[in-house]
Amino acid sequence: MSESAIEEVADWHGFAMDYSIEDGAKNILRNRRQSNVNVDAIHDLPVDDSEMAPAQLYATESGRLFHSGKIAIVTVGLPARGKTHVTVALTRYLRWLGVKTRAFHLGDYRRAHLGPGKDVPHDYFHINASSEAVKLRQTILQKCRLDLYHFLDYEKGQVAIYDAVNPLAEGRRQLAKEFAKHDIQTIFIESYVNDDSIIEENVRSVKISSPDYAGWDADKAVAHYIKRINDKIPHFETITPAEKDLNYIKMINAGQRYEVNNCRFGYLPNRIVFYLMNLHIKSRKTYFARAGISGFDTTYKADAPLSEQGVAYSERLREALIKHREDEHSQFLSQGGNANEIRSLAIWTSTRVRTVQTAEPLQREGYAVREKTQLAQLNPGDSEKHTDEELRKIMPSHWEEHMLDPYHHRYPRGESYHDLAVRLEPIILELEREKQDLLIIAHESVLRVLYGYLMACSTVDIPALMFPRNEIVEIIPESYNNKSRRIKIPNTNAKGEYVP
Amino acid sequence: MIGHIFWMDSSEGENGDELLHVTYGTNAHDETQVDDSQICVVMVGLPARGKSLIAQKIVRYLKWLSINAKSFNVGSYRRADTPQPNAEFFNTGNTEGERMRRAAAEAAVSDMLKWFGEGGHVAILDATNSTKARRTWIKGQCDAKGYECLFVESRCDDPDLVLSNVLSVKTSSPDYVGQDPEDAVKDFMARIRNYEKVYQSIGDEEQVTFVKLINVGSQVVINAVQNYLQTRIIYFTMNLHITPRSIWLSRHGESQYNVEGKIGGDADLSVRGYAYAQALPELVAKSVGDAEITLWTSTMKRTIQTAHHLKYPKKQWKALDELDAGVCDGLTYEEIEEKYPVDFRARDDDKYNYRYHGGESYRDVVTRLEPIIMEMERGENIMVVTHQAVLRCIYAYFMNVPQDQSPWMEIPLHTVIKLTPRAYGTQEERFKADIPAVSTFRAKYASANMGAGSEEATENSGAPTEAPAQVDGVADAATTEAKDAIIASAVAANDVAKERGIEVNGDMLVTE
Repeated sequence: MSESAIEEVADWHGFAMDYSIEDGAKNILRNRRQSNVNVDAIHDLPVDDSEMAPAQLYATESGRLFHSGKIAIVTVGLPARGKTHVTVALTRYLRWLGVKTRAFHLGDYRRAHLGPGKDVPHDYFHINASSEAVKLRQTILQKCRLDLYHFLDYEKGQVAIYDAVNPLAEGRRQLAKEFAKHDIQTIFIESYVNDDSIIEENVRSVKISSPDYAGWDADKAVAHYIKRINDKIPHFETITPAEKDLNYIKMINAGQRYEVNNCRFGYLPNRIVFYLMNLHIKSRKTYFARAGISGFDTTYKADAPLSEQGVAYSERLREALIKHREDEHSQFLSQGGNANEIRSLAIWTSTRVRTVQTAEPLQREGYAVREKTQLAQLNPGDSEKHTDEELRKIMPSHWEEHMLDPYHHRYPRGESYHDLAVRLEPIILELEREKQDLLIIAHESVLRVLYGYLMACSTVDIPALMFPRNEIVEIIPESYNNKSRRIKIPNTNAKGEYVP
Repeated sequence: MIGHIFWMDSSEGENGDELLHVTYGTNAHDETQVDDSQICVVMVGLPARGKSLIAQKIVRYLKWLSINAKSFNVGSYRRADTPQPNAEFFNTGNTEGERMRRAAAEAAVSDMLKWFGEGGHVAILDATNSTKARRTWIKGQCDAKGYECLFVESRCDDPDLVLSNVLSVKTSSPDYVGQDPEDAVKDFMARIRNYEKVYQSIGDEEQVTFVKLINVGSQVVINAVQNYLQTRIIYFTMNLHITPRSIWLSRHGESQYNVEGKIGGDADLSVRGYAYAQALPELVAKSVGDAEITLWTSTMKRTIQTAHHLKYPKKQWKALDELDAGVCDGLTYEEIEEKYPVDFRARDDDKYNYRYHGGESYRDVVTRLEPIIMEMERGENIMVVTHQAVLRCIYAYFMNVPQDQSPWMEIPLHTVIKLTPRAYGTQEERFKADIPAVSTFRAKYASANMGAGSEEATENSGAPTEAPAQVDGVADAATTEAKDAIIASAVAANDVAKERGIEVNGDMLVTE
């Protein structure tokens, strides 16, 4: 294995990089792909667009919300502690709330500066580094900082998340001082782990899945990776109460404990703690599936049970999902995976009869099903039972508004997608909490909004997302961005009917 | 000149308590029901650490969000047998005192478990629970029934903070009613010392879910959280503080739309509305004094114009905009009754949940106000100039008004309401400007177009109107007298309630 290949793996988030490395950090930031609903848009730019804020409660002229000014969130922690995961997840959540947030991964800048295949000097992270290494470090830092200031000062940015190791107490003090000069409040978020098994598990699940470790014995690869990190960054000072002047959140052992210091300066810091309390670093899959079709009365109020076709569909859904998971599991085991790491499946439905019944075949297999009231579909209000053409005639002004902004428009007595997103916010936090793989069986409107959260879709995209009944949508989380794919349900058409 | 009234919110030991619990007993509208788990929030800490305040606020917040919650105050159980114990009662060497305090705790826990059995969602066990042994016992009781325990410890090392809490809160405790305040403080400090002898902060070896709020949240330690609802409760407690402060609420001055009887819109103030805006600095100064306050308005013209002459730092919040009346925006009640008769009636049937065509319901407004409430809890002196429906929701939160009543409360124009949160409830004072304004209040099922029950056309000329228990005269004297009378009547009401076997919570300050 070449040194540079190891660097890719050993780096802060040396995985899931789906964009090409180009010259210059700025180019990288400017040239990333734009939103596509099948691709997680969490790193898309620019973000100064209200379309990127599905659950925004209100807007302000300055673009800043919740009574807060400019905030820098600075991560602290060695590699393989879940820093990048926290950075990306927080970015996703804050943007969802309407807070203009951007992640600045120092690793991106380092790679961009060095160019493909080049590694930093061996003493780059050392306290007594050579002057060249220090100079290189400062150059790279400078580029990242300039972009960060530009975002906060000129792009209506509110929260910049600065993803780096920040290993030394003195360095953190200096950083907070420098940000304060720019009228930026700093919150440090340390991800601290003193339970070796958590580090090993994290390395095993996300760091050594790279092709660079293909063919390695898993235990040896983990040991190799951890040793490399320790050699590379020998000096690391965890945040202690001695740093009492800093605003910090210290997460210990992946959510077992949180120590919060001096975070009483606005709505956002506590909100962030709230979110972090629900976040975990385990990687698990989310599946979305539609409920089967019901009988003749399909109205919202009727809440009708499944038709015969719907019952048959629920059986095919069960079969397709279980087969898919079994195939994956046997592949995982054949590649030397540990059977203990195979996750079980949790199922959520709404309280609507159709969704509950659609889960029944899986429930009979022994999977636990939880009904959640908040997963109830978008209330169509007076638009129910009308075709688009009819609505155009019956309530032309509403129809027109709906065409112009289907996300925010609300039919009389009904809910808009925006209402639904705000209502689903508790579900978002519970979704982050869930540790098993999770199947959500719900109405298309609900799936659209939840998918919109996980894939950072814009409010323009969300009302148009398609969830045909012949597919299960699978979201595969990765630290840097999420991926989605679709699992076909055999012998089924888009309406959920049987086709031979 | 200034109508000045002073009373406590309805949950605080009034007979209304019974009604409140009935009202919140069922959750017909389950949208905010966040979890299936039933949680016992166990307060931990020495006396005078703000435990009752936190307990009371958790209950109020959860109820406001339609989650069935109730506080069980061990002190009120003990008080049934020992209404006014001295510090010696709390001495660890006092076996009789120890026995009685244990009996009170057992009675409270037993009632709490019964309440869980009847479908209660979040119970707060408000007591010192200062020993590991006591906590282990409570956890055992809850574990046996499958209820989760979340320990909330309030720790404070700042002696000044503790003393000010003792002075401001404890001397008005039912335990010390009628006693010399100085003796009361002395005795209470002795009681705290007795507790300090046995107090054990929650240790890691207890292996429990906890949040420790140290020095009013300047440090927070959170351990082993189990589910979403727990995180939500912890999040809320992190935003609380005990710094004395007040909240001033005012509607905007009378607007052109008010004069024309129209709802909604974004109209300018009327002439009388401008007069109110001009009178506001003096009216507010009387109540605020030199205190630093922050002024919040909505983004609508009538609130911004109303606040124009007030020289305080200002913030505009979109979330404070008036309830969106959808298709009815800009109509008079007469026009609504005429054009949408079914809706007009449907709204009266269930005003809290009724959503205007293309607009909002009170429930919707509560949802969007949640960040505002959180920010108000977090903040200090705040004045809010906003709109009728929004003020009703904010007022309902602070004064614990049930959902079937809050949309019907009268919040008159040209009046500043001052709310001062205390451990035993929220105090209210009203300051009325001597500037006439129309009343925009319409009683339930009142026809919109004429006399009976309708106040659309009546002028509210500055004379005392419907405001309950209005006390004119020198503010301070009225305050003290009214306060004493209220405390006395609250204590009496508690005794009556106790005899009838009704839980009384909230006003009980001293717990063990």
